[in-house]
Amino acid sequence: MPADITDLFPHLALAIGGLVALSAAWLPGAAARKALPVVAAVFALLPGLWAIGAGADGSGMTRFFAALLSAITLAVTGLLARYADRRNFAGDALYGLLLWSALGMLLLAEATDWIMLLIGLELASLCLYALVASRVADGLGAEAALKYFLPGAVGLAVLAFGISLLYAGGGSLDITDSLAAGGPLVAAGLALALVGLGFKLSLAPVHLWTPDVYQGAPAPVAAFLSTGSKAAVAAALLHVCADASPEAMDVLAPALTVAAALTMAVGNIGALAQQNLKRLLAFSSIGQMGYIAMAALAVNDGGGEAALFYLVAYALMDLGAFGAVGALSGEGADRDAIASYRGLGYVYPWRAGALCACLLSLAGLPPTAGFIGKFLVFGAALRAGYTGLAVFGILMAVVGIFYALRVVATLYMREGIEAHPTVPGPAGWAAALALGGVSVGVVALGLCPGPLLAAIGKMVGG
Amino acid sequence: MRQMPWLTLLVFWPLLAAAAMPLLRRSLEGCRRFALAAVLVELAMAGLVVLLFAAGRPDLPVVEDAAWIPALGIRYTLSCDGLSLVFVVLTAGIGLCCMLASRRDDQARPALYHALILASLATVQGVFLATDLFLFALFWEAQLIPVFFLIGIFGHGERMRVAIKFFLFSAVGGLLMFLAVIALGLYAADLPDGPSFALYDLTRLSLPLATARWLFAAFVLSFAIKIPLVPVHMWLPDAHTEAPTAGSLILAGLLLKTGGYALIRFALPLFPEAAVAFAPVLTVLGLVGLFYASVVALAQEDVKRLIAYSSIGHMGLAVAAIVSGSRLALGGAVVMMVSHALTSGGLFAQAGMIGERLGSRRFAVLGGLWNKAPGFGAAFLYCILAAAALPGLSGFVGEAMMVFGLFRVDTVAGGFAVAGMAATLVYLLRLAKDTLFGPARCDLPFPDLDARETALLVILVLAIAWLGLFPGPVLRLTAGPLDAIAGQVWPALHAATGP
Repeated sequence: MPADITDLFPHLALAIGGLVALSAAWLPGAAARKALPVVAAVFALLPGLWAIGAGADGSGMTRFFAALLSAITLAVTGLLARYADRRNFAGDALYGLLLWSALGMLLLAEATDWIMLLIGLELASLCLYALVASRVADGLGAEAALKYFLPGAVGLAVLAFGISLLYAGGGSLDITDSLAAGGPLVAAGLALALVGLGFKLSLAPVHLWTPDVYQGAPAPVAAFLSTGSKAAVAAALLHVCADASPEAMDVLAPALTVAAALTMAVGNIGALAQQNLKRLLAFSSIGQMGYIAMAALAVNDGGGEAALFYLVAYALMDLGAFGAVGALSGEGADRDAIASYRGLGYVYPWRAGALCACLLSLAGLPPTAGFIGKFLVFGAALRAGYTGLAVFGILMAVVGIFYALRVVATLYMREGIEAHPTVPGPAGWAAALALGGVSVGVVALGLCPGPLLAAIGKMVGG
Repeated sequence: MRQMPWLTLLVFWPLLAAAAMPLLRRSLEGCRRFALAAVLVELAMAGLVVLLFAAGRPDLPVVEDAAWIPALGIRYTLSCDGLSLVFVVLTAGIGLCCMLASRRDDQARPALYHALILASLATVQGVFLATDLFLFALFWEAQLIPVFFLIGIFGHGERMRVAIKFFLFSAVGGLLMFLAVIALGLYAADLPDGPSFALYDLTRLSLPLATARWLFAAFVLSFAIKIPLVPVHMWLPDAHTEAPTAGSLILAGLLLKTGGYALIRFALPLFPEAAVAFAPVLTVLGLVGLFYASVVALAQEDVKRLIAYSSIGHMGLAVAAIVSGSRLALGGAVVMMVSHALTSGGLFAQAGMIGERLGSRRFAVLGGLWNKAPGFGAAFLYCILAAAALPGLSGFVGEAMMVFGLFRVDTVAGGFAVAGMAATLVYLLRLAKDTLFGPARCDLPFPDLDARETALLVILVLAIAWLGLFPGPVLRLTAGPLDAIAGQVWPALHAATGP
């Protein structure tokens, strides 16, 4: 029994952390506002400590995602602290929902059972719907939350129906067992489950909610949405792909190939036309998910390791990109229009530098994490025999370079900041720390990916 | 002395200096002095490496090797043989010229300007020294970034559009090559010693014929864009026209050379069969480029654009020589690339001076510069004559070797090469005539060279004369590596001519 308790330590930490954050409402206002981010940060840190500590004996995947989600939550807490405070939506609910959402993501990432997967996904999503709308005064946020919630509910229903078909066909709720059964019911269920997961992962053609939601959400929440929930759902997708029987793979592979190609195309080409930076980043994150889907296809040829590495790299660069948008924003609204970033590279060298580093990494340029990540993902795809898909993906990556460069060029090659005089406030030390850590991570992971790769290799192997 | 990691220092010292530049951003003079000192140190290190390795130790290469990403068999391998050494010294020398080239471009943000130049020197050194294919691909992509910013921030006209165009063209090739590198790595994954990206290991793979040809195509596309070979040259005239003077020097003197160097160092030995099979195509493209560039250059109204087109022509000839299958032409191509870096460097620097003095580089405002500024005129004419391959100057050695080599392999190709060289004379003479001689078409004063400009041009002039009169050291240095590559790609030829 005690062993079980240690296994559940990260979940308990996040759940209790959420409760503690909510009960902080009893504290007098000023003290609570100061204490809340600290409390949230401490509880967000615990799963990571558990994962790294020698005492943990959970499976490798659990520990990996506990560490990743812990780091993401911690960074988002840092990014939110001053941002939310200055915009008057910092409250117990914000941090409580953040921690519970992280709990849902953790459950989702380690689920070996369809029901667990469903519960985790729903816990994460419900909290996210509320988080997107957390800035009550902002009409755009409420609209985004609604746009996220309604299709999300449909996606959930599709997934639930798929799971019921899988259960009917396979006679088991265990992911591996149900997929092993085969038969038309399982195939149909798998297809529906894939649609449901694809929706949360923003795979084309069920990606349409993404740009609106990212645009409407406060920038740090968008950072959380685009990294944490994507990482967790990608973990579920990898799990499904790794466990699929050859028969199930016959259904899965063509569908996922098309979805991956389409997603890479839609994301990267869609980003070209955007005039709004958060929408551009949303399309970019769609494109990145196409690479993850490609790695998931090759999951048994090293794609699993590649995808895990890419998830870490992607988490770093999207946290940095959205975080920098938040740190560069005035208090009225987020700095959205790309044109309003003209010349900011010289006015706010550090924040804009972080944005620049993350954009170059999203474009896959050396010496950043994105470069190594692309190397691994495309290597896995080639090894698994998806040569055509890999070539297509590389061409789409070139398109991806274009829009990243467009923003970088706006930051450094255009004068004219006086046209957009919105002055961002001080970022706060927590956000500065988070942004700095993430940017350093993007470059450090590009320069020496060895340790992380070795850790992932050991985990997947053992 | 040998124990120091000299090659690593060569690559990372400029980067280190670049990272230190922001500390000096308040002082324009401080930035200039520090950057100049940094490239002088780099040049001194390059010279020291020549003395240490080339003089005392004929059995190059020198290798610095360390595990980098062990899980994938990727190593941090820098190695320096005679061929690399020539280009390493060239890079340091062009770096010095960049620092002397302009006192106009760097006014607004001197620290950033000099840091970008230093960073691009570092990445180019990396390209010339890396022999792990992954490391090479990394430097290959990375060298675009500083030049992108250099053109985009400090360029003229539509600098942002031009910078993005330059980057995208190069990135298309670079990423396809990146995919080919991954594919090569997969073929090497089952080697007895584990996966490897070392050039030496990869040249010993026996690839399926079709695969090798596809991979060769991906590599060559990337190199051809950089060289640039017709028809993928479209980025070059724009990039040159809008780039600041130092950017043009780096583009023409270094980035174009990385393309030719990589063709020799990587594309030929990795895929010898495909290289022989595709040689006629590349020869035709190179020679077509020579004529095409000459015709288009003649029609240009901007001095810098004309010089840019001349680069396309000269490098086209170099490509034809590299794939020709003649060891003599191959050696000539290397000399030619070094010579072209020097002559085009001089021409671009002087085009920049014209722009700074007159506010325009159009032929319509030029003419009669010789009378106004004889020192400038003499140096300009000297560089033009060197580019036109006047005997005794650097261009002659390379072109003569290439033409003789081409004739020996294929009379038709040799004939076209000679005709193409004659065509280059036409626009080079026009360049001289319309700028230096004839009536002055502009009343603005044209002050002669100042001390800094004189120093820059004297360096280049002496280097050009030295390479033209005593090409021996360069030929000797490159002989070993080129023999090895020729012996691998054209074994029959190598057996015939002897080692």
